[in-house]
Amino acid sequence: MQFESDLTRDGLREIKNRMAQAAPTHFSPKELLRQYSDTIDSIVRKSFQKAQSIVTSPSVCLVAVGGYGRSELAPYSDVDLLLLYSSSQKPDLPLLIEKTLYPLWDLGLDVSCSSRSISECLQMAQSDPYVKTGLIDSRYLDGQYEIFRTLYDLFSRKILHQKVREFADTLMKDFVLRHQKYEDPAYVLEPDIKEGRGGLRDFQIGRWVIRSKYKTDRWDSILFPDQSRILDRSLQFLWAVRNELHLLSGRRQDQLTFELQEKIAPILRFSPGTRGIEEMMRQYHLSSQRVYNFASNMLERVLFEPSSVRKASSAFKRKKLDSSFGIAHGEIFLLDPVTFKRDPPQLMTLFRHCQTSHAKMSFQTEEAVLEALPFIDDRFRTSGPVNQSFLSILKKGEGVESLLKKMHELGFLSHYLPEFSEVEGRVHYDLYHVHPVDVHSILAVEELIKLKAGLYHKELPLLTSLIQETEQTEILLLTALLHDIGKGVEEDHSRVGERLVSQIGDRMGLPDQDKQLMAFLVRHHLFMLEIALRRDLHEEGTILRFANEIENLGNLKMLYLLTFADIKAVGPEAWTPWKNFLLMELFLKTTHFFERAEGTGALPKKGEVVEHLIQWLPPEVVSEYEEILPPRYLSSYSWKEIAHHIEMACRLEREPLRVEWSIEGNARAEMTVCTKDRYGLFSKITGAMFLNRLNILEAKIHTWANGVALDMFKVADTTGGMERRLQQFKADLASVLNGTATIRDLLLKREEPSMIQKKIIPRVSTDIRVNNQDSDFFSIIEITGEDRLGILYDITQALTDHGCDIHFARISTLGNRIVDVFYIQDKWGEKVEEEDGIDLLKQTLLNRVTVGTS
Amino acid sequence: MKKIEAIIKPFKLDEVKHALTKIGIQGMTVLEVKGFGRQRGHTEVYRGAEYTIDFVPKAKIELIVVDELVPQVIETIERAAKTGKIGDGKIFLSSVDEVIRIRTGERGRDAI
Repeated sequence: MQFESDLTRDGLREIKNRMAQAAPTHFSPKELLRQYSDTIDSIVRKSFQKAQSIVTSPSVCLVAVGGYGRSELAPYSDVDLLLLYSSSQKPDLPLLIEKTLYPLWDLGLDVSCSSRSISECLQMAQSDPYVKTGLIDSRYLDGQYEIFRTLYDLFSRKILHQKVREFADTLMKDFVLRHQKYEDPAYVLEPDIKEGRGGLRDFQIGRWVIRSKYKTDRWDSILFPDQSRILDRSLQFLWAVRNELHLLSGRRQDQLTFELQEKIAPILRFSPGTRGIEEMMRQYHLSSQRVYNFASNMLERVLFEPSSVRKASSAFKRKKLDSSFGIAHGEIFLLDPVTFKRDPPQLMTLFRHCQTSHAKMSFQTEEAVLEALPFIDDRFRTSGPVNQSFLSILKKGEGVESLLKKMHELGFLSHYLPEFSEVEGRVHYDLYHVHPVDVHSILAVEELIKLKAGLYHKELPLLTSLIQETEQTEILLLTALLHDIGKGVEEDHSRVGERLVSQIGDRMGLPDQDKQLMAFLVRHHLFMLEIALRRDLHEEGTILRFANEIENLGNLKMLYLLTFADIKAVGPEAWTPWKNFLLMELFLKTTHFFERAEGTGALPKKGEVVEHLIQWLPPEVVSEYEEILPPRYLSSYSWKEIAHHIEMACRLEREPLRVEWSIEGNARAEMTVCTKDRYGLFSKITGAMFLNRLNILEAKIHTWANGVALDMFKVADTTGGMERRLQQFKADLASVLNGTATIRDLLLKREEPSMIQKKIIPRVSTDIRVNNQDSDFFSIIEITGEDRLGILYDITQALTDHGCDIHFARISTLGNRIVDVFYIQDKWGEKVEEEDGIDLLKQTLLNRVTVGTS
Repeated sequence: MKKIEAIIKPFKLDEVKHALTKIGIQGMTVLEVKGFGRQRGHTEVYRGAEYTIDFVPKAKIELIVVDELVPQVIETIERAAKTGKIGDGKIFLSSVDEVIRIRTGERGRDAI
């Protein structure tokens, strides 16, 4: 069914296409909505008039309701109509409606039409909030004007301006319920522009409250001029986005999906690529936050305003807080309206009062704060009392999260800490970072407060006890608030953040210690998680290097707490017990390291290794070896020696065994052995030395993480002929290592009488200790006893026979006494911890030490 | 077609992923899992309180592979994930009846 006018389905599509082309450059998205609405008006009227000419009907009136009633029609929004008739009549309407709607449906419009009498309307509006809100925005289209007039008068008088509080209550319930639904992070990343938090529906709620209570649609008159300008801009943005959503999808589409974000950002003139999308989403977050604030403020005004009775008695309930502020009904008010302009630091005092009195600000006070924001200058920011006040608010802890939110909402936070404004609304475009940076930072503070209050004590007992141990929570909270402040700049945001935080610390007049702690924490705020996830926590070197970077237990505790807060505040999926297991293990092992203060000497700092070695070795080699060299090894040699050792190791492919020595005098030599580590290696080496009557005075053995064994020995030869013996030693060791001989065979071959051991009665008592406390990674065997030729071979042979793998050993001889320390693991790479195993090992060692080779 | 599931130490994930992409594997599924085998969880003490890490965190990789590639993939994972110490993990191999790509409806090898 068509009408004789020129408009067809295609014609309508043409109109929408023209709208699409005009939209991005249109100076006002709202105008676009109105123009489209006007177009639909003429279409609807034509159709209605035509229908009326066909179907005789008594007095009826066609009314636009809902969004259409507001003349805000997005290209694919619903068109909601109401056919109104006077209550005394009961006209025959179905046919009229049919004739009106069918042509509209044929055009592809989404039209619905209800028919009611005036009294029916009023009745329904009383009980159904949707009908009520639909009527608030109702608009006469065609037909008998008086009928509409009558309805609207009655509606305004009897319903709209009555029971305002109840109405606000119903709207509030919708507000809260809807937000619960849209709180899912999926909706934060791909928000619904209409129904989501701070969306267009929220704006309408604010408007409806104003209509109902203040009897005006001029919402801009209720707000402060600055506020209303900002709100208007936010709305224009949201409308612009929604228009594009509809036009690009060709249907009613209110959700800003990733795909559409990508398409819309360039259309709305944001930068190309991901950057533009982030800018657009930042704009969205800022806009929706303002709309949300507007709606919730309006609702609060009505719902929490004291009734007239209470207002009368309020005069008696007012209390003075100090010379500038008073409190009444849980709301803080200014005694003198120009307080903030005269004395800006009072702004901070206000927040402190809110905390100590558990009160909120009255709306007038909030407005005064807004008005005073331009007066926040560097004098304010560097003022001692202001900063002390802020710190004491943090230190007190109570209600800090809602205070920070309020500071944020009012714009106070970004005026007091201008660095913070850089990260407002800033998003990181991916699936993981749900919240914009400013919201995320405040959430991190909130999580720490919850932790301190014991909310997580069941799942996170360790973290809970750590925060409760912490004395300076205000520094921790401040750091959490500022930890991402370096984001948005191209550079590594941890470093940028470190700089900015130092700046802020200076400005706030913090003591050096606190400034350094904050800078350290911000610089390293990603470091702990990185190590926990990406490094082998079962390697001692990992823990030592980490501990070296963290420097002390105090830093470690704060860093663990900050890491928790940061991850928890990213999004609901981010923090898992899985991650916490790894973090906890890293934390505990490092704590042990600090508590034992293991004397490994001054460990080189991250980067120092590269710095030094690069003088002698090519860069690829240096970076390969940076994390392979054990810390104990590094503190035992000079850089030049280390570089030389690495060169030896690099040649192992061609020369599987390298032995180098330098002889001192005739009886002593220092020797370095470099080869691929294998099970029982040390025992083989000491065996070959024993074979050649070389007495080991000192030894340091190291195993590198890439499986290279680097052993240094100081040996003495009692019979002279050192050079010859060393050469023979090398040859013997080579054949043992390549499997052509065993130590046992060689021992038997060289049947020198003095090689056969007799039972020895030691003059120095033998002491063997197995220490499983001092290292998380190794069992430490300490042996003291009488020195004799071959004793080291016996010990290492015993250890090898027992299934122990020697990672590090330090051998020294004092006079006729040996002091040997071995760091060992079993075949599985674990400590030897079972009682039986330990006893057996001790026994075996004792026998071997006292009895000797059999 | 075969399904390869590998349970490995978490810090080895990057290395294994890198090694697999080098031999041409284009897709895999990764999960954060916890469990224990002979490597048990353990209890640590801090300030007199005991904290038990009773399950050991591991990473699990799943991939579907054509039969011919299976030996190479398994060797690659083995090599990249090994530390030689307890807890290195395990690889499981099973048969897959069908693979379907949802977007296009492709089946079998084309869908891998």
